[in-house]
Amino acid sequence: MLHSQHATVKPGEVLFGFLLVAFSLFLFWQSYEIAGFSALSSPGSFPLAASALMVISSCIVAVQNLKLPKQEGAFFSVDIMPKIVAVTLAILLIFSVVLETVGFILTAFVFLVASIRYLHRSSWQRTLLLSTMILVIIYVVFRLIFQVVLPEGIVPEREIMAWFEDLFKSGGTN
Amino acid sequence: MEAISNFLITWTSIDLLALTALGTFLGIYIGAIPGLSVTMAVSILISFTFSWEVYNALALMVGVFMGGVYGGSRTAILLNIPGAPSAIATALDGFPMAQKGEAGRAIGLSTVMSVVGGFVGIIILSIAAPNISEFALTFQPRDYMMLGIMGILLVGSLSGESLTKGIFAGAFGMLIGTVGLDPLTAEERFTFGVVELWNGINPVAVMIGMFGLSEALMQLHHLDKQAIKQKLDKIIPSWGDVKKYLPLSLQTSTIGTIIGALPGTGGDIAALISYDYAKRTTKKPEVSFGQGAKEGLIAPESANNAAVGGAYIPMLTLGIPGDAVTAVFIGALFIHGLNPGPLLLIERPEMFWMTVGNLTLANIFVLIFGLTGIKIFSKIVECPKGLLIPMIFMLSIVGAYAINTSIADVWWMIAFGVLGYFMKLYGFQVGPVILGVILARLVDENWRRAIISERESLPDFFANLFASPLSVALFTIIVLAVVTQTPLMKLIKRKG
Repeated sequence: MLHSQHATVKPGEVLFGFLLVAFSLFLFWQSYEIAGFSALSSPGSFPLAASALMVISSCIVAVQNLKLPKQEGAFFSVDIMPKIVAVTLAILLIFSVVLETVGFILTAFVFLVASIRYLHRSSWQRTLLLSTMILVIIYVVFRLIFQVVLPEGIVPEREIMAWFEDLFKSGGTN
Repeated sequence: MEAISNFLITWTSIDLLALTALGTFLGIYIGAIPGLSVTMAVSILISFTFSWEVYNALALMVGVFMGGVYGGSRTAILLNIPGAPSAIATALDGFPMAQKGEAGRAIGLSTVMSVVGGFVGIIILSIAAPNISEFALTFQPRDYMMLGIMGILLVGSLSGESLTKGIFAGAFGMLIGTVGLDPLTAEERFTFGVVELWNGINPVAVMIGMFGLSEALMQLHHLDKQAIKQKLDKIIPSWGDVKKYLPLSLQTSTIGTIIGALPGTGGDIAALISYDYAKRTTKKPEVSFGQGAKEGLIAPESANNAAVGGAYIPMLTLGIPGDAVTAVFIGALFIHGLNPGPLLLIERPEMFWMTVGNLTLANIFVLIFGLTGIKIFSKIVECPKGLLIPMIFMLSIVGAYAINTSIADVWWMIAFGVLGYFMKLYGFQVGPVILGVILARLVDENWRRAIISERESLPDFFANLFASPLSVALFTIIVLAVVTQTPLMKLIKRKG
C-alpha cells in the first residue's frame, strides 16, 4: 500500500505534469536571477539547487505520465473536479473576496447558509438554525475568547457590542 | 530538583492543567472524527494561539496531539474508517472485533495500551533527549544540512506513491521557504518587487491550506458515505487482559518510540511495523490476525502513542521534525520565539521538562477521557460531513486571517489548498511540502555556513565530509534512500 504507483493516468494528470514542469522552469529561471552561478554560498545557490530538483523530478513525472495508459471511464468533471467541488470552491472564493469589505458576521452567515444548504441538503429552517448556531459558537470562541480580530466591514459590530454592554450595565444598576 | 519542579509546571497551574485537559479531550474527538486530522487542528490552532503565553499555547497543542493520535483508533474500531493515518493498522483487527460485538472491549484495551505506549515514549524521551542534545553539539553545519534533507527525503519516500513525487514536493516546499529577504544578506528572493513578500509566505497559511482546506475538498468526493453503527457495552478492560498483553505492548512501544524518533517516520509507519512485528512473533493467537486478534489491536495502538514521545526527540534536540505533525509543531515553537535544537535543552531546560511533564499529564487525560463518555462520543462522531466541511472551511479562513489580520494570508491559504487538492489527487504527498517549508532555512543557512568554512571548495567539502563518521553515516542514508528507489535497484530486487 505504501509504494503503489498507480498504473493509469487520471484525467488531467498529463496536463498537470506539464504545468509543474513549466512552473519549475520558471522558478529555476527566477532562482538564477537572484545571483546567477556566482558563488556556492550565494543567496541564490540553495534556491537554484531546490528548483533544479523540481525541474528534474517534474520532468520524470511528466514522462512517466505519458507512458501510462488512460484510466478507463474516468472524466475530469467527475473524478477530479466534480460539480460539488467546483461549486463549493466558488462559494469559498466569493466568501474570501467579500470578507474584508462586507465584514465577517454577514459573509460568514451567508457562506454557512449557502454551503450547509448545498452540502447537507437540509430544509431552509434547519439550515438557518444550524448556521446561526455555528456562527454564534465560532464568534464567541474566536472573537470573544481567543480575541481574534475579524473584519468588521459594514456591520457596526463595536457599536452593537457597546449597546449590549450598556444594556447589561443599566440592567445591573436598576 | 529543578527538573522535577519544571516537570510539574503544568500539573500545578490550574490554567495549564485545564488547557491540557481541554486539548486532550478535543484531540480525542478531532482524531476520531473522520475528516478532521491532528495536523489540520494543530495548524489552525497555531494561528489562534500565537499571541498567547507560550506555555498555554503548548499545553493546548500537546493535549491535542496526544489525544488525537489515540482518538484515531476509535473510528477505526467502530466504523472501519481510521480517523488518522496512524490508526490504519488498528482497523485491521479492531473492526473485526467490533463486528463480533466486542467494540467496547476493543476500545478499552486500545485505550489502556495507548497509554502504556505513551508512557514508554515519554520515558525514552526524557532519558535519550539530554544525551542526544549533548551529542548534537558536536554536529557540523553540513550534518544539520544533511539531517534536514534526510527528513524531507524519508517523509517523501515512505509516505508517498513515488520518491520522485516526494522529492518534487520537498524541493517545492524548500523553495516556498526561501521566499522573502535572505536572512543572511537581506537580498530579495522571489519577491517580484512586492514589499509584502519581504517577510516570506507564512508557513501557517501553507499548512492550513494544504492540510485543512485541501483535505476538506477531498472529502467532498465521499460526502454520502454512510457509517454503520456498532453496539457499545462496557469498556473498562479486565485486569487479566491487561496483564496478559502487557509484554507485547511494552515491546511494540519501544519499537514505536524508536521509529517515531527517526526523522521522516511517524506514528503511521510505527503502527504498521509494530503490527507486522506482532504478527510474526505471536505464535498461537486466540483469533487469527485480520479477524479480530487482540495482538493486532494492541501492537499498533501502543506503538503509535509511543511514537509521539519518540517524535519529540529529534524535534527538541536537533530541530528536525519527524513527520508532518511535528513539522507543524516546530512551526509553533518558532512562532513562540523558541529555537528547537541542541541549544534549547541547555538554554531553556525548563521548556524541556515542562514538555515532558505536559506529555505525561496529557497521557493521563487520555486514560480518563478514553474510558468515559462513550455514549456522547458515538453521537458526536456521527456529525454529518455536510455540516463538518463548511465548519472546516470557516475555521481555515478565520485561522488564516488571524495569523496577521491580513486577507493576503487567506488568499495564500486558498491557493495552497487548491494546489494541495490537485497534488493529492495526482499522487503527490503534501507532508514533504510542509517539511520543506519548515526546514528550508535550516538547510539553506547550514549549507552556506558549511561551504564558506571550506572556502567555497566542493572537493574540500567532500574530503572533510568523508573524514567524519557521523557525516558519512548521514550521507550514506541519504544516498541509500534515493538509490533504493531507482528503477535499476528495483530491477535487481525483482531478479534477486
